[in-house]
Amino acid sequence: MVSVSAYAQAIVLLPFVSFVVALFARDNLPKGGAYSGIAATAGSLLLSLATLAAVYGGRTVNETFYTWAVGTGAQDWTLSFGALIDPLSALMLVIVSLIALLVHVFSLGYMNDEGEEDLPRYYAGLGLFTASMLGFVIADNLLMAFMFFELVGLCSYLLIGFHFREPGPPSAAKKAFLVTRFGDYFFLIGVVAVFTTFGTAAFAGAESFPHLAEAALGGDATVWTPGNMAESTWFTIVGLLVLGGVIGKSAQFPLHTWLPDAMEGPTPVSALIHAATMVAAGVYLVARMYGFYVLSPTAMGIIALVGGFTALFAATMGVVKQELKQVLAYSTISQYGYMMLALGSGGYVAAVFHLTTHAFFKALLFLGAGSVIIAMHHVEDMWEMGGLKNKLPVTYWTFLAGSLALAGIFPFAGFWSKDEILYETLIHGLNEPLLLIGYVFGLLAVPVTAFYTFRMVFLTFHGEPRSDLARDPHPVRWNVKGPLSVLGVLAVVTGGINLVPVKKVLGIKGIDVLHKWLNNDWGGIEGLSSHHYAKIGPYESGYLFGGEAATVIAGAAVSLTLALAGLALAWRLYGVADPAEHTAKLGQIRELLYNNYYQDEYQVRIADAVRDAASGADTFDQGVVDGVVNGVSSVSLLSSERIRRVQTGIVGNYALLLTLGLTTLLVVFALIGGWFQ
Amino acid sequence: MVPVEYYLLLSSAVFCIGLYGVLTRRNALYFLMSVELMLNAANINLIAFSLMWGNLTGQTFALFTIALAAAEVAVGIGIILVLYRNFGDIDVMDAATMRW
Repeated sequence: MVSVSAYAQAIVLLPFVSFVVALFARDNLPKGGAYSGIAATAGSLLLSLATLAAVYGGRTVNETFYTWAVGTGAQDWTLSFGALIDPLSALMLVIVSLIALLVHVFSLGYMNDEGEEDLPRYYAGLGLFTASMLGFVIADNLLMAFMFFELVGLCSYLLIGFHFREPGPPSAAKKAFLVTRFGDYFFLIGVVAVFTTFGTAAFAGAESFPHLAEAALGGDATVWTPGNMAESTWFTIVGLLVLGGVIGKSAQFPLHTWLPDAMEGPTPVSALIHAATMVAAGVYLVARMYGFYVLSPTAMGIIALVGGFTALFAATMGVVKQELKQVLAYSTISQYGYMMLALGSGGYVAAVFHLTTHAFFKALLFLGAGSVIIAMHHVEDMWEMGGLKNKLPVTYWTFLAGSLALAGIFPFAGFWSKDEILYETLIHGLNEPLLLIGYVFGLLAVPVTAFYTFRMVFLTFHGEPRSDLARDPHPVRWNVKGPLSVLGVLAVVTGGINLVPVKKVLGIKGIDVLHKWLNNDWGGIEGLSSHHYAKIGPYESGYLFGGEAATVIAGAAVSLTLALAGLALAWRLYGVADPAEHTAKLGQIRELLYNNYYQDEYQVRIADAVRDAASGADTFDQGVVDGVVNGVSSVSLLSSERIRRVQTGIVGNYALLLTLGLTTLLVVFALIGGWFQ
Repeated sequence: MVPVEYYLLLSSAVFCIGLYGVLTRRNALYFLMSVELMLNAANINLIAFSLMWGNLTGQTFALFTIALAAAEVAVGIGIILVLYRNFGDIDVMDAATMRW
């Protein structure tokens, strides 16, 4: 029987092989490398499912494959690559490889059928993107996670800027890269801080940094802290440093500005970025090292507050956007805000649950948007659409399922996960005012989400066609409908993996599968389970109306009512034959929202303010650092210019030099040997 | 019997004549002859010591050197021929292009 760790390596290597094949075979590949990519991701998916089954059978992995550096002396750290396969990573592997497979299939319709050029480059990018994300998921230590995190960032840069001959995409790609790099800079410092403090960056085991941190706070171990700072303070700082990378990648306020611009990339890439790879990486990282974050109530509070705020903040901007993909972009930011809110308020399972359901319905929505864009000959403005319902039935029904899930309407997947996040925030927030603020943000975002989602649905699919393109859309083929159907079914049923409210209210046992899964009920790694996190976590639960069941029902009723209210408003305003541009009535507020609260402007202003410092650094770099290097080379150049004159090419001169040298040597040896005394 | 010092004096005289030729002559043929002189100076040394110790090793080496010199002359003449073809002369100062 092949070991699970061999599976893990193969899962990562398969898409990487597809990347290498697409890179080097280029023009000799059928469909520009699509088939090799599909084969590789399908293989990854099968192996991921096998891994999931193995973890279900209690076979987890925590091992090092390759140690590439070993420190000496006080810094006896080992830097290594390894795999950590536990319930969380096994689940994530399935999600990532499934979405990647569907995106590859969809790309056949979106890229190949639309006659795009330079496809091997596209499929090479997709392969590397998938491989880096899978490598990030199985990472068993923070440094390996960081390296793959950066690779994910690089691939998003390459893919967002795929159409590099147009003006928009390269600029959006640079923005995505730079903004996330800004966050990653703090992450890098955090990695170094973790190494310096704990001497290890492993995620799991007795010698892992979350475990050591827990022991240090309990007084059972001592760790290094700068200037004898209190351990709890220092752990908070380290956690926040790593969080910098998370905020950049998961597009949380204030580093979310790259994500809407990233819509310049091809739509399947957007689906991959938003559902499974780049943006999910940040949230996954917090979940991966959750045992460290729960030790710091301050860091948890900040995560919750940033998440809750982002959820509402991004949702409001989604309301006024005119382009299909822009609305989806802001919904992504908002949904990841929910996940951060869940993580910050102790809802580890809820966050992973939402990560799962969101991966499916957001991939569905993006691919659905892609299908609409194909049909509309690459027009993305929703005001040019309308009435596509009957022309694109498969797209419409699947898109509707995804929208209902996103809006959190019972019984679609998003309802269960979003409701659980709000529930966890509420019960922990009753004793913790900070979380209660996050809860209010989250709750306010619910009707806004439902409103903008259905504004999008009604404008795109309902009413009368508002342009010639919408009257006669381009048909889509099986390679578009297939992935949509798979995801459509998943968006409806995924909620079934975690029917906690039903369990709590009706008392039916065994239907909270995800809870049991993450609770290591079927095996897992000690110290990486939800009950362990709950035990060491800072929060206590409180209940309204004197009971758990009553709180569950009240919370669900409130959020569902709000969601339905948002939906109803959207229906009222936009569900008519010929909708008017109601957002224009908002006046000043619309301008504010449409310009994204002037976030880009003020970030550019900040960037301009530090321009002097940057040019100073540039002068230092060019003058001093490069100066030293250039100086060394010019000195050797100049001196060799002089010294080479010795070589005349005339054989007599060489003979003379030889003779003189020999004579000199003889004389010197004679003097030393004492012949002339 | 002639003392070995005389042989050594002869040998060093021949060597110095050869060296002088190498350093001063511009004609490649003279150059080659001077090299031959130096080689033969070495041969005289070998033979002299062979005689002095009553040992055949030196003579064997001298035979080797003679064979070597023959081969060297063959190569040297070849080089001189090529030199003449390329530069129209066999002046060693002309062939100064093999440098930076």
